[in-house]
Amino acid sequence: MTRKSRLSEREPGSKPWLGWLADTALILYFVFALFPVAWMLILSLKPADQLFSTYFSFTPTLDSYRTVLGDSEGIPFVRFFVNSLVVSLGAVALSLVVGLPAAYASARWRFKGSENLMFTLLSFRFAPELTVIIPLFVLYQKLGLFDTYVGMVWVLQLVTLPLIVWIMRSYFADLTPELEQAALLDGYTRKQAFFRVALPLVKPGIAAVSLLAFIFAWNNFVFPLILTSSRAQTVTVGALSFLGGDRPKYNLTAAAALVSVVPPLLLALTIQRYLVRGLSFGAVKS
Amino acid sequence: MSIALRGVRKTYGRTTALDGLELEVHEGEFFCLLGPSGAGKTTTLKTVAGLEQPDSGTVELDGTDMTGVEPYDRGVAMCFESYALYPHRSAYDNLASPLRSPRHRLPAAEARDRIGAIAELLGISGLLDRPVGQLSNGQRQRIALGRVLVRPARAFLLDEPLSHLDAKLRQSMRAELKAIGAVQHTTTLYVTHDSVEALALGDRIGVIRDGRIVQTGTREEIWYRPYDTEVARAFGRPRINLLPGTITEGGGFRSADGGGAPWSRGAKTSGEVELPLGAEASPGTDVLVGVRPRDLALEREGHGTDGRRPVLTGTVYVTEVLGRAVEVTVRLGGQHVSLVAPRAEATHLRPDDPVRLTVRPENLLLFEADRPERPGRRIETSTR
Amino acid sequence: MTSLTETDHGAASREEGARQVRAVPRWRRGLRPYLLIVPALLLTGGILYPFGLGLYYTLFDFSASKPRPDMVGFENYRTVFTQEAFWNSAWVTVLYAVGAAAVETVLGVAVALLLHRSSRVGRVLEKILILPLMIAPVIAAIIWKLMLQPSVGVINHLLTPFGLGGVQWTDTPTGALLSSIAVDVWVYTPFVAILALAGLRSLPTSPFEAAAVDGAHWWYTFRRLTLPMLWPYVLVAVIFRFMDSLKVFDIIYALTEGGPGDSTVVLQIRAYLEAIRFQRYSFGISYTIVLWAVVYLAAMVLVRYLGRLQNRAAEVSK
Repeated sequence: MTRKSRLSEREPGSKPWLGWLADTALILYFVFALFPVAWMLILSLKPADQLFSTYFSFTPTLDSYRTVLGDSEGIPFVRFFVNSLVVSLGAVALSLVVGLPAAYASARWRFKGSENLMFTLLSFRFAPELTVIIPLFVLYQKLGLFDTYVGMVWVLQLVTLPLIVWIMRSYFADLTPELEQAALLDGYTRKQAFFRVALPLVKPGIAAVSLLAFIFAWNNFVFPLILTSSRAQTVTVGALSFLGGDRPKYNLTAAAALVSVVPPLLLALTIQRYLVRGLSFGAVKS
Repeated sequence: MSIALRGVRKTYGRTTALDGLELEVHEGEFFCLLGPSGAGKTTTLKTVAGLEQPDSGTVELDGTDMTGVEPYDRGVAMCFESYALYPHRSAYDNLASPLRSPRHRLPAAEARDRIGAIAELLGISGLLDRPVGQLSNGQRQRIALGRVLVRPARAFLLDEPLSHLDAKLRQSMRAELKAIGAVQHTTTLYVTHDSVEALALGDRIGVIRDGRIVQTGTREEIWYRPYDTEVARAFGRPRINLLPGTITEGGGFRSADGGGAPWSRGAKTSGEVELPLGAEASPGTDVLVGVRPRDLALEREGHGTDGRRPVLTGTVYVTEVLGRAVEVTVRLGGQHVSLVAPRAEATHLRPDDPVRLTVRPENLLLFEADRPERPGRRIETSTR
Repeated sequence: MTSLTETDHGAASREEGARQVRAVPRWRRGLRPYLLIVPALLLTGGILYPFGLGLYYTLFDFSASKPRPDMVGFENYRTVFTQEAFWNSAWVTVLYAVGAAAVETVLGVAVALLLHRSSRVGRVLEKILILPLMIAPVIAAIIWKLMLQPSVGVINHLLTPFGLGGVQWTDTPTGALLSSIAVDVWVYTPFVAILALAGLRSLPTSPFEAAAVDGAHWWYTFRRLTLPMLWPYVLVAVIFRFMDSLKVFDIIYALTEGGPGDSTVVLQIRAYLEAIRFQRYSFGISYTIVLWAVVYLAAMVLVRYLGRLQNRAAEVSK
C-alpha cells in the first residue's frame, strides 16, 4: 500500500493511533464509571458465606434480594421504597400545580414580584439544606409533621420547586407569545389559550422536568435523614441502615443500593434529550 | 367597523414604539399602513386588536372606547407576520380553531363546509391534513390568512400577509386578496413595508415613521402631494430624482451647480437653470426639486422645443433594460437623474451621448432641503 | 364561492354587532400575573419561614437541654469564628470543593472532547454517560465504601498484583479526604461532561472551517477557538459543582462520617453534628448561616465572571 492511499483513508491531519488512544481513554473512564455498579451487582448476588472468601468466582444467588425485599433483618425496605415513591410523586405534583402558573407568569410578564420569586427560588438551589432543616426539625416536632408524608412533601419543595419553575420558565420563554395571542383573537379566553396552546407545546418539557425533579426528590438524603424516623423514611436512608448494626451486611447493602437506584436510572434513560437544560437550570439549552 | 387611534403612546422600556399615533380607518375601507421595520406597524395592529395596552391614548372601534376590552370581545381578526400557526396541529385544525372557540363556535358540519370553501378560495384544499410543520412558508401564510377569513369579523388586521411569498405568488395573491368578498366589504387594516403593495391595495394609505403617522391619503394624494422627501422616496421605483438648489427672487428654482451648470431652459444651452415654480418660500431657501423618473421624457431629435417645458441637457451615464422600458441614468453636471423611457426611444443610447430631457412643470415637486433632524417637507407651488 | 363568503359574512357581522362589550378595568388586568404566582409565593414563604426562624434562633442559646432559651445576641457567631473546629471545617470544605470541582472540570471536559469526536465507541458509551449522576450520592458513597474496605474491598484486591494492597483508604486523614473527592468525581463528572458536550455541539462551525483552511495546528485551534467559546458552558457547570460541593453532606456522611478524627468534617457535617447529634440547635444553625453566606458570595463572584465571559465568547464566535 502506498503512502498516498493510506493518507486518503482518514481525515487530513489526524493520525490513526490518536483515534485508538482517544477510544482507549474513553473506555478507561467508562470502566471507572461503570465498575462500581457492576461490583454492586456481583456483591448482591453473592451468598453470605462466600462474601469474604471470594471476589469474582462464586455461586450466584438471589438470597440478598429476598432478604431485603422480604423485610427480614427488621428493616422494612419495601415500605421505604413505597415512601420514596409517595413523597417524590407528591413533591413533584405539588411543585407542578404551583410552579407551572408561576413559570408561565414570569416568562410572559416582567414584574417585580416574579423576579424576586425567581431569585429566591434560585437561591434555594444553592442554600445549604441544613439552614432550613434544623429549624424545621424543631418546628415539625411542634406541628406533628415530623416523620410524615406531608412534612416530607413540604420540605422537598426546596428541591423540586426551583427546578420546575426555572426550567419551565425557559420553555415558556422560548414559545412566542403570538401563539397565545392568535388564540385570543380566535375567540378563546386567556385560560383557554394557556391550556389549549401554551401547555401542549411545552408538554415534552413538563414531562422531562417532572421526571428530573422526581429523580432528585428520590435521591435526596438529608431531608429524610433528619425529618423522618421510620414511618416516612425513604430508601436512601433505608439503604444506609443495612451498614449499621453489629456486623455489616455487605451483600444486603449492595442489594438495597441497587434496588433503590433502579427507578431513577430507568427514568433518566427516557429524558436524555432534555437533560442538559434540566441540569443547568435552563442556563444551557441544547 | 371604523377604527380610530387617538394619541396612542406605547413604550417598551426605553424604546418608544408608538409616539402619540393618530389614525382613522373608515367603515369598509381597505387601509394600508406603510413604513419601514421598527416604525411601529405591528404594535399599531396589536394595540387595535387589544393584545397590547397603550400607555396613553385610546383605541376606538365603531366609536366605542376599547380600553380594557379583551381581544376576543373586539370582533377583529388578525393575521400575524410570523403566521402564529399552532405547530402541534394540522392545517385543518388551525383553520378550525376559531370555529371551535366559545366565541365563534359552529356545528362541526357547518365548520367543515366553511373551511372547505375558504381552503378552496386560497388554493390550500390539498394541504389540510398536513401538520403545519411540513408546509412551506407560502403555504403557511395562506393557512394563516385562511384562519382569519374563516371566521366572522368586523375588521381584518393583516400584518405583512404576503411578505414571505415569492414575487410571482405575491402578485397573484395580491389580486385575489382584494377580490375576496369578505375583504371587499370589511374594514381592513393592512400593514406592509412594500410601497407597491400599498399603492395596489390601499383605498387609502398611511405612512408611519418612528411611531407617528406622517401622512394619510389616497394613492393619488400620496403620489402627487407627498408630505416630505422621505414619503416621496418611499413610493416609485426607480426612486424619485431630487436635485438640490435654491429659491430665486421670483419664487423659482435655481440649480445648485453654480458656474457651468448643465441645466438650461429654452434657448439657453448652458449656465444656471431657472424653473418657474411659484414657490411659497423666501428667496435663498435651500430646496430640492423632485421629479419622478417616469415624468422625465427624452426629447426626440428634430422636434422643436416646446417653449413651455423646461429642457435639461446632459449626457448618458448608464442604461439598464427593465423589460419593455429602459432606465436611463443621465449625468447633469454633478448630479445624476434617472428616467424611464420606452425601449424604442432608448435602445440607441450609448454612454456619453448628449441628451435633452423635458418635464411637465406640473410634475415638478418642491421640497425643503433635508436636515439632519428631519426630511425636507414639501413646499406648495403654483405650477400644479 | 365569493358570494358564499359575502352572505355568510354579512350575517356574522350583524351577529358581532349585537354583542355587548365588556371592559376589564386596568387594576384587574394588572393583577393577572400576580394571581398566577400567588401559590408559588405562598409555598416559597413556607420555605422561607423556617429559614427566617433559623436566623432568629441563632440569636438565642436554644438547645435540647435549654428549651426556654435566652437571647444571646451574636454570641453564637462569635463562638463559631473563634472555634478552631470551625476553621478546620472551613479549610476541609474549601479543599474538598476546590479539589472536586477542579478534577471534575478537567475530567468532564476531557470526556466531552473525546465523545465529541463521536467515534463508534464514543457513540455507544455516550448513552450510559449519565448513569453515575442519577444514582443518589449517598448510595454512591455506600457503593464506594464497600469497594474501599481495606481488608475485603475489591479495590485493594485489584491493586494487590501491583504490590499496592492493604491501603487504608478511608482510615487516614488524607486518604479519607481524597476518597470523598473521588466519590464526588465519580458521581458528578458526567454533569460537567454533559454540559460541555452540549456546548461543543452548539459551537458555530465557521471559525473552525476558517482555521482548517488556514492550516492551523490543532493545539492552536483548541487554545484559541474551542476553549474560549466553550468556557462559558463549562463555567456554568463549574459554578454548579463548586457551590454544591461547598455544601456537601451525603457523600461524607455515608463514607467517613467526618472521620478519621475531624479530617473530613466539612461545614454541613459540623452543623449536623452540633444541631442534631449534640442538639445545640442555635449553634448548629449559626454554622449553616455562615456557610450560606460563603456560598452566596462565591455565587455572586462566579456569576459576574460568567457574564463577562459570555460577552467575550460572543465576540470570539463573531
